[in-house]
Amino acid sequence: MKTVLVVDDAAFMRLAVKTMLEKNGFKVVGEAENGLVSIKKYKELRPDVVTMDITMPEMSGIEALKSIKAFDPKSKVIMISAMGQEALIKEAVMSGANSFIVKPFKEDHVVSAINKVLLT
Amino acid sequence: MSNEYSNDPILDMFLFETTQLIEQFEQSILASEKTSCFTSEAINEIFRIMHTIKGSSAMMMFDGISAIAHSIEDIFYYLREENPNHIDCSALSDLVLEGADFIKDEVDKIKNGNNTDGNADELLNSIKGFLSDLKGGNPAGKSTKARKLNAFKAVIYFEEGCEMENIRAYSVIHKLKSMADDLSYIPENIIDDDSSVDVIRRDGFKLFFKTDCSREKTQELLMQTVFLKDLELEQLNDVDLKQFNGPQQVVEEETPQYVHNDNRSHDEKGSPHDSASAKQSIISVNVDKLDKLMDLVGEMVISEAMVVQNPDLKGLELDNFQRAARQLHKITSELQDIVMSIRMVPLSATFLKMHRIVRDMCKKLDKKVEFKIIGEETEVDKNVIEHISDPLMHLVRNALDHGIESNEERLSKGKPDTGNIIIEAKNAGSDVLIIVKDDGRGLNKEKILRKAKENGLLYKSEEEMSDNEIYNLIFMPGFSTKESVTEFSGRGVGMDVVIKNIETIGGAVSAASMPDMGSTITMKIPLTLAIIDGMNIKVGSSCFTIPTVNIRESFRPNENDIFTDTEGNEMIMVRGQCYPILRLYKLFNVNTHITNPSDGILIMTEQDDKTICIFVDEQLGQQQVVVKALPEYIRRFKKTKGLAGCTLLGDGSISLILDIAGLIGLRE
Repeated sequence: MKTVLVVDDAAFMRLAVKTMLEKNGFKVVGEAENGLVSIKKYKELRPDVVTMDITMPEMSGIEALKSIKAFDPKSKVIMISAMGQEALIKEAVMSGANSFIVKPFKEDHVVSAINKVLLT
Repeated sequence: MSNEYSNDPILDMFLFETTQLIEQFEQSILASEKTSCFTSEAINEIFRIMHTIKGSSAMMMFDGISAIAHSIEDIFYYLREENPNHIDCSALSDLVLEGADFIKDEVDKIKNGNNTDGNADELLNSIKGFLSDLKGGNPAGKSTKARKLNAFKAVIYFEEGCEMENIRAYSVIHKLKSMADDLSYIPENIIDDDSSVDVIRRDGFKLFFKTDCSREKTQELLMQTVFLKDLELEQLNDVDLKQFNGPQQVVEEETPQYVHNDNRSHDEKGSPHDSASAKQSIISVNVDKLDKLMDLVGEMVISEAMVVQNPDLKGLELDNFQRAARQLHKITSELQDIVMSIRMVPLSATFLKMHRIVRDMCKKLDKKVEFKIIGEETEVDKNVIEHISDPLMHLVRNALDHGIESNEERLSKGKPDTGNIIIEAKNAGSDVLIIVKDDGRGLNKEKILRKAKENGLLYKSEEEMSDNEIYNLIFMPGFSTKESVTEFSGRGVGMDVVIKNIETIGGAVSAASMPDMGSTITMKIPLTLAIIDGMNIKVGSSCFTIPTVNIRESFRPNENDIFTDTEGNEMIMVRGQCYPILRLYKLFNVNTHITNPSDGILIMTEQDDKTICIFVDEQLGQQQVVVKALPEYIRRFKKTKGLAGCTLLGDGSISLILDIAGLIGLRE
């Protein structure tokens, strides 16, 4: 089973994503509520995929993405953004994000994005 | 918060988190309003709260909530990025608080299983209008003077293999936004919908817009698009443009200029997060689980008593056993304390809500009031808190509406024009006192008596009533002295709702007042209902328990001190005071040999300043007992006033717990 680290400052979003993923056969091995914690957890857990919210306190998703990519270039990070943050998505993609999803998203979006990313 | 959420944990989480966030939002806005400015921490916090609510509610498809959150987020994004000079703090606060109210209402509808059918259009327009005014006043904002507009249709083809055409298409839109109006495009869903990439590859990216730039300028701009293979640019007249304006006008509504976000989002790293949203390590636990835990701990206390006080052990010398029993008792006591404290919640959340009410009412009634909270860290049982919120709200509203006089009236009385309202919470034995005090005009005795007479509520003649009794008439159902019904109070249904709520949790309300000095309403609430200190007593072969908190003293009476009054009631004289006697065996029809008062014990008990002496056979001893409600069957079958519940004693026998207030009521 593929492992996932879910990163979002909203507990609700973490729960929603976790539920969607576990329904589809993924194992959520960790959660993080900001960029700093996500880097620490990544290093600890080495998940197959990371879902990363962009807007978070302490450290944004983009900064965390850069750190994780620097630590492990082979890491797979999917950015989750809100509507209207397209310019940030551009920066994320430039910084190595493997894919992105926009809120609000449906279950199959997330699942197909993760599957696609795992194939590469 | 009620426990009646749906069984969907995701919905529960959404409701829980959103409710928490809205409360934080309100606190932040109110605090900022007090200081007449929005600090950058506050702006960031408020922005993030609305951003989160926008995202979560959109996920749950509550679009009304999402739209409002989005509009408020836009305002605070603008405040964060542009830092404009003149913000009408008060108007902004009013507006966004209205937004918060809308969201709260919708959330309540969801909690009650109803549809979120609120229409936020008007509110949305006001909020968006506020933002565009803000931008208009800011020199960097777009000018609104009429310009000569050209209409264009552009079709952009990207080079094969350039990938992510939808993002490139978005960049074009982004560039155009700053110099074009009425921008619309096909395919519409370029970000969300992956298939839009195919559409763009096949048919090109179509754009329709108006701009005051010349055709050459427009062409030049569009030719700058990266990976552009081909551009078709066609000037249209207005009629053609309108035809295409159906799809996707959304562009204008989107938040512009997110590009700058990079630098700013790290602002908060340095500043300590000491605003009202102090985050502790908290997990949310289902209240049902806590209830079960409480129950089990209660059972454990009973079981422990049954082991340690087991009749088999009577008369045996068991040193080691006793030592072990004491150890056990220490642990169960500690466990008991902790479990009870888990359910204890500080009153601060409830008290803080009052700020908003005071603020809103002051504005509406045009009164100036200084509002103080004391002792909000005092804790009460979670079950109890739910029943305090509404009464407290009503009392505060009353104080503001009826109690505090208008500024002019206060000045004419020689009082400062700013009124004072204080809410205080403090521990008093096994109760918590919640006091609402104002320095307004006080309660009017004559008016109260008149109204009571009108509604037939006088149970005593006017002359016989003490001031205290007169003031407490206001708590009787159907009572109200305000001539006109206002939005806030005066319908005569408020005060008795207060009483009912408080009585449900076993508490009491009382009023005190001084004319023109003010009024004080006190709510007395028991700390916890489940475990009490009780004195076990025996009548015949039956056991009863009297809550220790009600006992004043116990003694063997002197025959001479007992007499009967004119109405045939038995009374006893103690230190110059007369108290009624209640023969328990008579009341509950228990067989006992002890009928002579000097053979038994009189226990003087009191509740709410009323005293009664209960005649029992003997006292068995003090003990902590777990209060269990009388079984449903018995409650339905026979309404027994005077019994608060029952409990299991150490030897396995049942003891009925007396309700002193009920017994006193029986006597009257």
